[in-house]
Amino acid sequence: MKETHDIIESGILERYLLGELSKNEMASLERTLETDSELKSYFRQLELDMEKMAMENAVSPSGNVKQALFRQLEGDTDKKIIKIKPRRPSRSYTAIAASLAVLFLLSSFWLYQKMNGIQEDLRVVRDQNNLLLDENENLVKNYDETIKWLEELNNADTEKLIMKGNDLMPEARAISYVNHINKTVILNAAGLPELPSDKDYQLWADVEGEMIDMGVIPKESEMIVMTYIEDAESLNITIEPAGGNDHPTVSNLITSATIAP
Amino acid sequence: MPEDLTLINQLKAHDERALSVLYDNYSAALYGVIIRMCRNETLAQDLLQETFIKIWQKCDSYDPAKGRFYTWAYRIARNTTLNSLRNRPDLIQNEDLSVYDNKEEEDGTPIDLTQLNGSLKKLESHHQEALELVYFKGLTHREAHKEMNVPLGTFKSYVRQALTQLRKSYELLLVVGIAIIERIL
Repeated sequence: MKETHDIIESGILERYLLGELSKNEMASLERTLETDSELKSYFRQLELDMEKMAMENAVSPSGNVKQALFRQLEGDTDKKIIKIKPRRPSRSYTAIAASLAVLFLLSSFWLYQKMNGIQEDLRVVRDQNNLLLDENENLVKNYDETIKWLEELNNADTEKLIMKGNDLMPEARAISYVNHINKTVILNAAGLPELPSDKDYQLWADVEGEMIDMGVIPKESEMIVMTYIEDAESLNITIEPAGGNDHPTVSNLITSATIAP
Repeated sequence: MPEDLTLINQLKAHDERALSVLYDNYSAALYGVIIRMCRNETLAQDLLQETFIKIWQKCDSYDPAKGRFYTWAYRIARNTTLNSLRNRPDLIQNEDLSVYDNKEEEDGTPIDLTQLNGSLKKLESHHQEALELVYFKGLTHREAHKEMNVPLGTFKSYVRQALTQLRKSYELLLVVGIAIIERIL
């Protein structure tokens, strides 16, 4: 086709490829290319050759360009082109989130510390409470005992005997409470001087000239219930070997008190 | 290089992965053109970026039936660079090319932008110069024939002849290549 040959020779295809043509020239040539397959084929070959030449003279750009390109696209995509992607959280949101996280962490730590402190306090309070309960129990016990002693001592039938030490032990004092109705003897031995560990005080009842054992007085005791002996005429305290004796060592008698009939 | 229409369709659907592949395939060829036109590395990098931004934004207007993707992209790169140089006349082609001689690339290989490579190098000097002026310097045929100081018609024939020589050279390479492959097989 002559026209095709003329077009090729005119060099317009090269100028078209290079982008030198005006819009009108381009539109006109494109219409021709659509209908002229030979021309089209020639142009395709021209494109391939030019592309190959460009590839042979390629220069690799710095990798930063691609990075910058995609950074820019990402920014543009968010702002202008497609708003499909959710907006990335801004720096300030990130900062707020980070601050909240730090705040939460600190407050959690503080609360944890606080809780540990409170648990420790609770343990101390529990211990103290147990001690108080024990003490209270002791007090109640003591109170009950005291009430019991008081009832006993205040009983109208109770006879109070003051036992003063003789020449052997003049500083010795003991008080006996004898109740013939209830048949009880209570001894307050708080006023008796301390004895060495191998000695004990022992209480005796004098019944028609015979000394009958009423019991060993325990060391470090104040009010002691002793054995009641019928028809006792007097109460006597001797110093005996530790653990008590079957028969009183009369030479060691330190005090004696007569019981009213 | 065969063109992948799927890739073009993905680009038209604004798939950034498609742009990434196209960038990997064509950025060096386009950069080779841009940097020879503007001869300023920083500016060339900016212009390459701008070129791909335009490719991304204008991809709807690309019609694969009318020509190859690279041809379309080349025109964008060329026009973008020419527009930029028009606004900065201090940069238009009056700089000494040797400034860019032996410039170290990232991998340490020196690039000499005064030299053209491949089959183009084997052409006669006036053919080489004609193609260089229109293709790598962005001059129009009307500007280039004055630059070479030959009539426009003569210049056009230079370009045509240069391209024909190039064509023969590539065909020869193809034949040699096939022969080598046959030998190997």
